[in-house]
Amino acid sequence: MNHARRGKMRQLDRAASTHPEKAVASGRSASAAWADASWDVVVVGGGNAALVAALTANDTGAKVLVLERAPHHLRGGNTRHTRNIRVVHNGNRWNVGAYDFDELWSDLCSVGDGPSDEDLAALTVRESESVPDWMSAHGVLWQPSLAGTLHLTRTNRFFLGGGKTLINTYYRAAAARRGMEIVYDALVDDFEFEDTTCRAVIVKWQGHTYRVATRSVVCASGGFEANLDWLRRYWGDAVDNYIIRGTPCNDGLVLARLYDAGAARAGQEKGFHAIAVDARSPRFDGGIATRLDTIPFGLVVNNLGRRFYDEGEEIWPKRYAIWGRLISEQPDQSAFSIWDSKVRGLFLPPMYTPTSAGSIPELASTLGLDPVSVTETVEKYNASVVPGDTFEPARLDGCHTDGLSPAKSNWAQPIDTPPYYGVAMRPGITFTYMGVAVKPDARVRRTDGSSFTNIYAAGEIMSGNILGTGYLAGFGLTIGSVWGRKAGKGAATHAR
Amino acid sequence: MPDDVLPTETMYAPSLDNLLLSANRQLNICNSCRYCEGLCAVFPALERRIELGSGDITQLANLCHDCRACLDACMYAPPHEFELNIPRILSEVRVESYAAYVWPRRLPELLQGWRGALTGMVISSAVVFITAFASTGFSGLHERQGRAGSPYDDVPYYPLLTLLLVTSLFSVAVIFVAARRFWREINGRSTLARPAALWRATIESLTLRYLRGGGGGCFYPSATVPSPTRRVLHTLVAYGFGLCLVSTTSAAVLQDFLGSMPPYDVVSAPVISGLVGGIAMTIGCTGLLAVKASAAGAAASPEMTRKDYGLLVALDFLAISGLMTLFVRSSGAFDVVFIVHLAAILFCFVATPYSKFVHVIYRYLSLVKNQIEQTSSAEPELAQV
Repeated sequence: MNHARRGKMRQLDRAASTHPEKAVASGRSASAAWADASWDVVVVGGGNAALVAALTANDTGAKVLVLERAPHHLRGGNTRHTRNIRVVHNGNRWNVGAYDFDELWSDLCSVGDGPSDEDLAALTVRESESVPDWMSAHGVLWQPSLAGTLHLTRTNRFFLGGGKTLINTYYRAAAARRGMEIVYDALVDDFEFEDTTCRAVIVKWQGHTYRVATRSVVCASGGFEANLDWLRRYWGDAVDNYIIRGTPCNDGLVLARLYDAGAARAGQEKGFHAIAVDARSPRFDGGIATRLDTIPFGLVVNNLGRRFYDEGEEIWPKRYAIWGRLISEQPDQSAFSIWDSKVRGLFLPPMYTPTSAGSIPELASTLGLDPVSVTETVEKYNASVVPGDTFEPARLDGCHTDGLSPAKSNWAQPIDTPPYYGVAMRPGITFTYMGVAVKPDARVRRTDGSSFTNIYAAGEIMSGNILGTGYLAGFGLTIGSVWGRKAGKGAATHAR
Repeated sequence: MPDDVLPTETMYAPSLDNLLLSANRQLNICNSCRYCEGLCAVFPALERRIELGSGDITQLANLCHDCRACLDACMYAPPHEFELNIPRILSEVRVESYAAYVWPRRLPELLQGWRGALTGMVISSAVVFITAFASTGFSGLHERQGRAGSPYDDVPYYPLLTLLLVTSLFSVAVIFVAARRFWREINGRSTLARPAALWRATIESLTLRYLRGGGGGCFYPSATVPSPTRRVLHTLVAYGFGLCLVSTTSAAVLQDFLGSMPPYDVVSAPVISGLVGGIAMTIGCTGLLAVKASAAGAAASPEMTRKDYGLLVALDFLAISGLMTLFVRSSGAFDVVFIVHLAAILFCFVATPYSKFVHVIYRYLSLVKNQIEQTSSAEPELAQV
């Protein structure tokens, strides 16, 4: 290391550490040999997109450093909470039936406002087909979709053990590789540029700051959904009622630094994947268990006791992702799912015990709602249910209401069999879409129309190139895997 | 997270209360997640249930073979605030269930724990010695001059048979009652006379199916690297034990039906099966004891670990002392070794219903129950993403 660089290190130490004397005195610790090495590819992040990029780059012989911000037990970002991936396929032993490009494409177009950049979205769908083989080749095991995955058995492929097993598999594969290192608790704080080329990343680790030289960089550090102040810019104080379903580490620091460095924006400020979760969920990291699948089976009212959306509009996997946004638009970002004993056992049991009561007014009072208005809503709904159709949870059964606004188009049955059940819900944010704009090779675009020569992006941090406002179950991992491979390949090629 | 957000069912046995509440809380979260459903039999069995009673939890606990793949897969494992540790809580319930169905519920205080085992061995040895002395005027050592010793040198046939029958019948009777009570607890109404289920559960038991672990392998003993170690060692113990039973049975057949009295030739069914079985058991038990310490991570229940040590040490002792009777049978040491081995067998018979040995019975019944469920219940199709 030359003197100038050493001098810079000291400055960084002093600037960064809360204990300047300690930082200057101790310098760098012996165990941070990774910080002195020169890397072909530095991967910022530690979830699916990051690990796919890292393994892909290493597959071609590149020396790869993975900087995971989370501690070991939280490694893997939101991938920990995933379970399946949506890909184009011709039928296989893990799926029932085939799912071709056109169908996935039309499914993607049917959620929210459709894809934000059609070319990049089409590229994603096209390249999704080869993802499962890549995953298998990197140690991922699959399982047939078993109970409770109605509607997804054809379109989504399930990996054995869920997302934490997936990410463990990748981390264990990485640990066995040559020329690959993973550092936990490593916070990437900044980038060092020479024109549009990144020469080094600045890393805070164990109270010290390091400059790590690299030939190329992959940013796969997720969205900014855990940064409540950032969300507040777009959503105001409603944010106080949001629940963040995933990792508390996704504060968007890397995204902010990329914007500072001139990266172009992709995706809408308010774009996110959000679902209905139990209001009792933890503020962060509650994951899958806190969601509620009760909505199509009953009614949803806001805290004024009024319905606000068609609960039976479409099959649940195509609609579950709109309910986070719908609830976020209600007073106090609050809504209540109400059902009766008839539908008990038709959906996954909620993690938290629902409120139950012998009558609707009693249920409403227990939930903190106005009994009169809720009773009125339920009675009006019951009276408008068109009798005679056969209730069938497995398909759009056409059991609907007549003359009710908003209507309930499917699975409409009177709510009339006690005990009655109810749960208070909040918007549960899975991840934000707004990120950096990328080229088809995953390189990050700049606001001046150029792009960075050696910064690539994959996963949630660039999901806004593809997702507009809606979400399609299992597509987050598709984006992460397709773009992780692109980014890893591009970064390794550039490093050569 | 407080347990009180979940329903407090009244059907729990009082002694299991807190354990079952905690298991209920954890399994309820599993049932809303279901990511582990491809790993083993426990999670599909859980998914067939929407509310859990004590019998359900006992069933799931005994269906769990402690491969710990679910802990590796769990994003809610500690330090997550949901604090899910299914292998551990199910171990805790399982070890409680070992005690819950036997009658009398416990060995006398005197015979509990390591000190109790030692006491038991002393008492048992004394009984054997007195029997030997009373019947043959046991002199301690026989001059063998190269001739192999026979058990009947020390304890004649009928006294020996009496000692073995009394202790083993006690064991069988207690275990039988416990098995009945256990079956009633996990199953309620259904009959055991289900040949197909019995057959499939037998195959699962004989192949140690679930010791293969959850898809990716068994995370015992290492919490991060799946390995077949436990399955291999457990197979040695199980089949070694089986061969030792073959040894005893074949000796009985030779003696009672073919009129051939011990000692038997080296090339004979009792000696070969006993030798191979004893060696397999010794390797298996010693191996399992050796990996036990490294398996004592977050997933291990201390109470279960204690039980494991107890059974493994006992089986290891039986195997080694049994082998010794063969190795020293032509020397003067035979008589003492034989008496110690016989004493160990008698004490183990008495202690078996109170040891982890009963896991054989409970697991088998749980596997049968699971097979019955799998064939009789169509899984509910639920809407989920």
